[in-house]
Amino acid sequence: MESPATIEPRALEHGDLLAHDAVPAALISMRDIWKTYEMGEEPLHALRGVSFDVQRGEYLAIIGPSGSGKSTLMNLIGCLDTPSQGRYWINGKLVSEMDDDELAHIRNKEIGFVFQTFNLLARATALHNVELPLIYAGISSADRHERAKNALSSVELSDRMMHRPNELSGGQRQRVAIARALVNHPSLLLADEPTGALDSHTSIEIMNLFERLHAEGNTIIVVTHEPDIASRAHRVIAIRDGQIEKDEKIR
Amino acid sequence: MTFDDIKESAAMAVATVRANKLRSSLTILGVAIGVVTLTFMVSIIQGLNKAFAEQIESLGSNTIFVSKFDPSFGRQPNSEELHRKDISVEDAEAIRTEAADAVESVAPIRRKIAADLRYAGKETDTPVLLGVTPEYEFTLSQYVERGRFVVDADNAGRENVAVLAQDVVRSLFPFEDPVGKEIKIEGRPFRVVGVMEPLGNFFGQSRDNSLYIPLSTFDKYWRDIEPPVVVFFIIIRPHTRAHVQTATDEITDILRRRRQVPAGVKNNFGVSSQDSLLDFYNQLTGATWLVLTAISFVALMIGGIGVMNIMLVSVTERTKEIGIRKAVGATRANILWQFLIEAVVLTGLGGLAGLCVGEVASLLMNRYSPLPAYVPLWAILVGIGISASVGIVFGLWPAWKAARLDPIEALRYE
Repeated sequence: MESPATIEPRALEHGDLLAHDAVPAALISMRDIWKTYEMGEEPLHALRGVSFDVQRGEYLAIIGPSGSGKSTLMNLIGCLDTPSQGRYWINGKLVSEMDDDELAHIRNKEIGFVFQTFNLLARATALHNVELPLIYAGISSADRHERAKNALSSVELSDRMMHRPNELSGGQRQRVAIARALVNHPSLLLADEPTGALDSHTSIEIMNLFERLHAEGNTIIVVTHEPDIASRAHRVIAIRDGQIEKDEKIR
Repeated sequence: MTFDDIKESAAMAVATVRANKLRSSLTILGVAIGVVTLTFMVSIIQGLNKAFAEQIESLGSNTIFVSKFDPSFGRQPNSEELHRKDISVEDAEAIRTEAADAVESVAPIRRKIAADLRYAGKETDTPVLLGVTPEYEFTLSQYVERGRFVVDADNAGRENVAVLAQDVVRSLFPFEDPVGKEIKIEGRPFRVVGVMEPLGNFFGQSRDNSLYIPLSTFDKYWRDIEPPVVVFFIIIRPHTRAHVQTATDEITDILRRRRQVPAGVKNNFGVSSQDSLLDFYNQLTGATWLVLTAISFVALMIGGIGVMNIMLVSVTERTKEIGIRKAVGATRANILWQFLIEAVVLTGLGGLAGLCVGEVASLLMNRYSPLPAYVPLWAILVGIGISASVGIVFGLWPAWKAARLDPIEALRYE
């Protein structure tokens, strides 16, 4: 294997998958993704040609030590950022070529985020937090209420709808965040260290919830550095130095 | 941007304003002060304008005023003006006969600013003494109420008869009918023949403190007193309002000819209609308008800078919130509108508060000060409009800053 430092983004060659080629059938399709940051004199390659597919209904964990490019990959999968080179399709849409506002629509429709630190609006009630993606989806307020209530019920928080985040426990906050992630029926549930801020008991509770959601047909990607959490997934991709080190089915 | 989006943004804005009560109220106060200044200034000017127009109207409809010099609003006439040849009764006669196609009636008047007036040992606040002809009543639309006015026979015989206005009657004849009584004007005996109808005020000055005698009788005693104590002028009433301009032109021609003003030289007399008075007044207030508008503008700018400051703080503080909103699908436009509407809500509230204070202030002013004030509807609408525009102008930059935030960095912000 070549040493990472000598690998540079290559020009597209004949035979590479191009935009006008057949749209991949997989839910997520990444082809030779590079992410380069210009920092000082040396360009920093956070990702060096990552390619993989994720099928609908998969439960995938992405693991790697800090600095491996794991977070960069997560930002790309979550359409928060675009690759420096390479192509990325989600649900048949080529997002690697999209502008900010198009990405915002993709995040709204296709992706449900779950963050380590929950990222709820502090001054808003649980219900309003869950409604948030629906607001930007342009759904009428009556529908929004109905769907947000259903999403909260599905994570067993019907009795906490009017509570603000600071009136909820960590586990409850993460369940609100999961309800928010699910409320717009995204193609993908993308969790970034979802148990990183929780005690072990609550962590198990949340991971059980993920398992249930997977059983209900949701596609889930969990980014973590904890082997315990990764072991709950059905497939694990290990990232090291910006490349896929290992990609294996474990169940 | 749908109505639902706006409603949502407005609700969020109100929630934010309520969550930061002190900060929001200070910002609102800043805008309110600007709007108060604006409304207050407008209301004073409007009040003055309205009062002036009403006063001018009350002088009688569309009369033309002829004198040695133009009315000079507080300024002393200069010596050239004072030494001009007097306008004369003959001039009035010439206007009556030569401009008959445009002129309905002509009233020559000689006026003494203050005359000593006594009745049965009682003295009154020195009234204005007017030497008039019978045309006075019709020309100025001021009529006698009881008894009779000055008639032609009085002028022909230089009779010592007088007509009193209401203030004089009130102070000298509180309990008796003045008609037929003998009064003393500057020590000379006069018989009261009539009482004028009440005329009200002109710019806070009573028009009922006067005394009317025949013009020829006036000339018999007080003709040679120098201006401005005694002045002669002619009031002319054109047939209709449409005749004002023609009449003014004809009168000017007649007087230029009679006073032998060569072509190309300025008039050595004054001819003014109410329209020209209004023009003059508007010129005078036009400058005031500009200054007051500039002051209000500066006040609003300061309020606006306050809004911008607070919105920038708000954007920084809520970086994380912006990141969350973007992560769940907010576009740049969504974020832009959210913060813009928040700024407009702040300034709008400031505008409303300012208008309320301005309205109360102008009511108080009407009640407790001689200056009239009046807030027209358009000023209220403009006030709200301007304060909202201040929000848009000064909120745009902070809102744009928020909209441009990178979602990844915004989410990482603590």
